[in-house]
Amino acid sequence: MLSNEIITADVINAATPKTKIEVKNLNFYYGESKALKDITLSLPERSVTAFIGPSGCGKSTLLRVFNRIYELYPKQRADGEVLLDGTNILDRSQDLNLLRTKIGMVFQKPTPFPMSIYENIAFGIRLYEKLTKAEMDERVEQALKRAALWTEVKDKLDASGTSLSGGQQQRLCIARTVAVKPEVILLDEPCSALDPLSTARIEELIDELQADYTIVIVTHNMQQAARVSAQTAFMYLGELIEFDKTEKIFTAPSEKRTQDYITGRFG
Amino acid sequence: MSAASSLYSRRKARNSVMMTLCVVAAGIGLAWLALILGALLWKGLAGLNLAVFTEMTPPPGEAGGLLNAIAGSVAMTVIAVVVGTPVGILAGTYMAEYGRFSKITVVVRFINDILLSAPSIIIGLFIYELMVRPMGHFSALAGAVALAMLVIPVVVRTTEDMLNLVPNALREAGTAIGAPRWIVIRSVAYRAALSGIVTGILLAVARISGETAPLLFTALNNQFWSGNLNAPMASLPVTIFQFALSPYEEWQQLAWTGALIITFTVLGLSIFARSLTGRRI
Repeated sequence: MLSNEIITADVINAATPKTKIEVKNLNFYYGESKALKDITLSLPERSVTAFIGPSGCGKSTLLRVFNRIYELYPKQRADGEVLLDGTNILDRSQDLNLLRTKIGMVFQKPTPFPMSIYENIAFGIRLYEKLTKAEMDERVEQALKRAALWTEVKDKLDASGTSLSGGQQQRLCIARTVAVKPEVILLDEPCSALDPLSTARIEELIDELQADYTIVIVTHNMQQAARVSAQTAFMYLGELIEFDKTEKIFTAPSEKRTQDYITGRFG
Repeated sequence: MSAASSLYSRRKARNSVMMTLCVVAAGIGLAWLALILGALLWKGLAGLNLAVFTEMTPPPGEAGGLLNAIAGSVAMTVIAVVVGTPVGILAGTYMAEYGRFSKITVVVRFINDILLSAPSIIIGLFIYELMVRPMGHFSALAGAVALAMLVIPVVVRTTEDMLNLVPNALREAGTAIGAPRWIVIRSVAYRAALSGIVTGILLAVARISGETAPLLFTALNNQFWSGNLNAPMASLPVTIFQFALSPYEEWQQLAWTGALIITFTVLGLSIFARSLTGRRI
């Protein structure tokens, strides 16, 4: 395992200068069992970071700490620090709903709400903003355009969100997330339920979105991590094994276990 | 080879025997239903005319209708549903959402299941002790409360079950967008479970519209039109019970017709409930 200093230093020197999320000595527990062990890493602003590793390595768990979605379930808890722009979001005083408007999340399975396409987007906006009908129409259109879905749905905004194809549903979920203007977007295996074509579209989208958002993606698909991310974290059994520029992780990893995983020797 | 094929043919034979038994069993079950419905149609349709819906229950030996009984049933059912549904939905929501992981939910679910299968005559006696005795007289209100006691467990159960069927991913998605818990429940979980919850209410209506026992001890019966909730009120099941046991032919005929009305109302409600669950949003 790399020491903390090297990880931080590497990223600060090599990637974008500003750190968006800084994780310090993070531990996570499901009841008695420890799922994350002393994780320390920092994610640069406006770039894509990928978490890879075999099933059960804790990569999704780590992602779910960033918006504290795990708090929906009792017996799940985290200790350590996660700094978003320098503020510890694990602090008890952190307002969870406000945190989640800043850190959006897209899930493995597309999760359109049981309402129309328009309402799916408007739902999140309406929670924190009072807009006129015209302004709302504008925002919905913007969000759908941002998610490259507008041309496909502009004539059926009143149709149910669930009537769309899987790939479209996932883009709807991205549009919904983008619509509330978050700063960070968490993607939890966003393409694992999609066909290759839809996957390609989502990857293009991720590439475009990184100009405005800090993106963290958990993926099982190593090619995908290599394609979309600027830096990659390899995790194994709840530990962060290696975190570096994606290019380096996939061509010249410093850890034997990373090497073994990316060459398909285990996992 | 031959051993294998004989094993296979033996399995096939055994399969067809079991299959036949299953079909026969299903046939027996269905036959009774068909017989009951047939007898009901045969006897009930003979007395079905406009007077049934426009005239009051008659004294023995005279012609009449079931208007006061039908109106009484509708009134008490509506009150029972209006009282019981909110309680049931709120309790079910607590169990499936806020109290999903708490011990009290397990206890409430267990008690609710007991209430769900409690003989309705017990409910009738309970309300008799609770309302009729202190008030000193039978009343439609007591009848409605007794019916509400039957509505609550059905609605609690279906609401909890239907909300549990809503994928957690959907709740997480609502939460992840920054929606507070109550908005996630109201706008996402309820919407996803809506058809199921409505089905539960319809099933509860179907259940109470045929109940006689709880009304015997509470609303009793009334030969005349009554709009007073604080007085005894007629209802279809109790009227059927009284008329069917009587020696008068007119009364017996009205009992058959009343039974026909209840049965087809319940059947209609069940089919409607079915069509709601069959449709996905």
